[in-house]
Amino acid sequence: MTDAIIQLQGVDKFFGNFQALRDINLEVQKGEKIVVCGPSGSGKSTMIRCINRLEEHSAGKIIVDGHELTDEVKDIDAVRREVGMVFQSFNLFPHRTIIDNLMLAPRLVRKTSKAEAREHAMRLLERVRIPEQADKYPVQLSGGQQQRVAIARALCMNPEIMLFDEPTSALDPEMINEVLEVMTDLAHEGMTMICVTHEMGFARSVADRVVFMDQGEIVEMNPPAEFFDNPKNDRTKLFLSQIIQH
Amino acid sequence: MSIDIALTLESIPKMLMGIGVTFQLLFITLGLGTALAIVLLLMRISGRWYLSVPSMVYIYVFRGTPILVQVFIIYHGLPGLEFVRESIFWPILRDPFGCAVVALTLNTGAYVSEILRGGVLGVERGLLEAGSALGLSVRQRFIYITTPIAVRLATPAYSNDVISLMKSTALVSTITVVDMTGIARTIVAETYAPYEIFLSLAIVYLIITWGIQKSFGAFERRMSRHVKQETAA
Amino acid sequence: MDATIGWWDDFFWAGLEVIQVFFVAMVGTVALGLMGAAAKLSKSRTAQKIASGYTIFFRGTPEILVLFIIYYGSAITLTSIFQFFDPTIKFVDIPPFWAGSFGISLIVGAYATETFRGAFLGVDPGLIEASRALGISNLKTFFYVRVPEMWRLALPPFGNHMLSVIKDTALISIIGLDELLFVAEQGMGATAKPFPFFFAVGGIYLAFSTVITLTAMMLEKRANRHLEGSR
Repeated sequence: MTDAIIQLQGVDKFFGNFQALRDINLEVQKGEKIVVCGPSGSGKSTMIRCINRLEEHSAGKIIVDGHELTDEVKDIDAVRREVGMVFQSFNLFPHRTIIDNLMLAPRLVRKTSKAEAREHAMRLLERVRIPEQADKYPVQLSGGQQQRVAIARALCMNPEIMLFDEPTSALDPEMINEVLEVMTDLAHEGMTMICVTHEMGFARSVADRVVFMDQGEIVEMNPPAEFFDNPKNDRTKLFLSQIIQH
Repeated sequence: MSIDIALTLESIPKMLMGIGVTFQLLFITLGLGTALAIVLLLMRISGRWYLSVPSMVYIYVFRGTPILVQVFIIYHGLPGLEFVRESIFWPILRDPFGCAVVALTLNTGAYVSEILRGGVLGVERGLLEAGSALGLSVRQRFIYITTPIAVRLATPAYSNDVISLMKSTALVSTITVVDMTGIARTIVAETYAPYEIFLSLAIVYLIITWGIQKSFGAFERRMSRHVKQETAA
Repeated sequence: MDATIGWWDDFFWAGLEVIQVFFVAMVGTVALGLMGAAAKLSKSRTAQKIASGYTIFFRGTPEILVLFIIYYGSAITLTSIFQFFDPTIKFVDIPPFWAGSFGISLIVGAYATETFRGAFLGVDPGLIEASRALGISNLKTFFYVRVPEMWRLALPPFGNHMLSVIKDTALISIIGLDELLFVAEQGMGATAKPFPFFFAVGGIYLAFSTVITLTAMMLEKRANRHLEGSR
């Protein structure tokens, strides 16, 4: 019995015959920042998508903030209220203004009043530094701005945990920093975060632990200094040598 | 062979007297047909086999057979059945206009249903995942995310279907409904001037089609104002 | 259903008529569609205008009206021409089979024009550039790179065109072709039992459209087989 806020125990995931996750065991404490890295196809996205039940795990247990993830809709809904997600392709609702994007879930799911939701949304837009875009449509914003809106939208639900699925992979290089800055601020404020990313600089400065996944398994997991300077496993060494060239 | 302008000019007003019937048919059928289409769509995507299978079969049959055959079955075929003659629907089905409305509605319902389904399928999965991650229920995702986007995506195909429906109204002249085409056929039978009459009638239909396209074009532009426009390659 | 026994050989020949119209009209549709697309894509303003006029007219006019214009119009024209030579001739017409097939070709050909044009434009320009950069001539690029891509893109709407053709065949019964619907009407007249006849006609047309749909699905699968297995 631990009080880890996220527990994955012996988790497997199959897509048909293909095994995407093999015996995943992971515990995340409240306030911890985890960065997950690995080659494509390693299962990193699948793993975090299992945490908010966008994917159903095939075997094992997943417990989030005391709720075990099963087919029980009550539990799934409870988890999704507490877990926010930011996607690689932003996924802002194109037919709604920025502020409407932020207000939709609080009003429908937490039944917040319109005025309260709007006030909360504006505060968050200020926090991600783009309050002036409130009445624009997503298509009118740059990629970096859209992703910051996406972060604000997830934060509007006051989650305990934030999941990031390659948040900067679809951005032009000059916009990556503005998003990483918001994520770093969030980290310093004590949010529990799991980030799948290739941004190793971010991992070094923000992560409490770095997790390396390959072919569906967690191969190595260590605090950043240990991880980058003293990788133990050969596969980890290979991966690090491939990405830290430029 | 010369073109009889005088005949054309005096026939057009006569044919236009049928335009009321044409439009009535168009609007009633469009309204009822779209409603039917929505019901069929919800059945089809409900996930319950006893709803989706009948819906799929219905759509398959009505899209797979000629509309004229459907019109004939309802107008000529149904009155041959005892229970139809004794049912409450008889007053509608006895009347050619009523038959026309029923046949066209049943037909267009199937086509529009598939068009709406295409719109629903076109909604990016990521948007629904974002809604789901935010905690929205299935019903909430369908109402607030899927529907507005699906309607926008389906509009071009829907406008084409409205035009098809308008063209199908001409078929009702074969079951004695007096629309523009019906009047035209009568005139041609008397005057033996198919080119003058039918060609001028074609132009009338073209003008109506043009009007429908323009209205939908304006509607589409309005709905897409917040969407990234693809620049022509 | 037994009312229709005795009519089954009529249905058979009528079904054959439908199949024949289908093949003839498909040839016409593809021909007109390709010509129309070529015209619209060409640099000649005139060609573009003519093709535009063609597609606008035949996509906006009710199909049955098109058939009337072609059939009755040509009948009147031919009759007056023949009467000029021999005043005793009462009526000359193009057989409904040809008038109908031609009419359907014109109508569905107008839709096919847009389909082929869209398929042509839909080919990734990058593929063409890559081919030319490799030194492959314009002509070879057209046949080995562009056409296979076009075919794959055009298949889904083309399947719908095939369905349109077979369903529009029923309209030709109105101008006298002895296809399925025509036979059904005769049967109804003879036996005063309309329902089984029209039901049978519906069933046969449904069978035809099923065959077409399955064929289209198979062709699509085959044309896209190199794209399977992508993550």
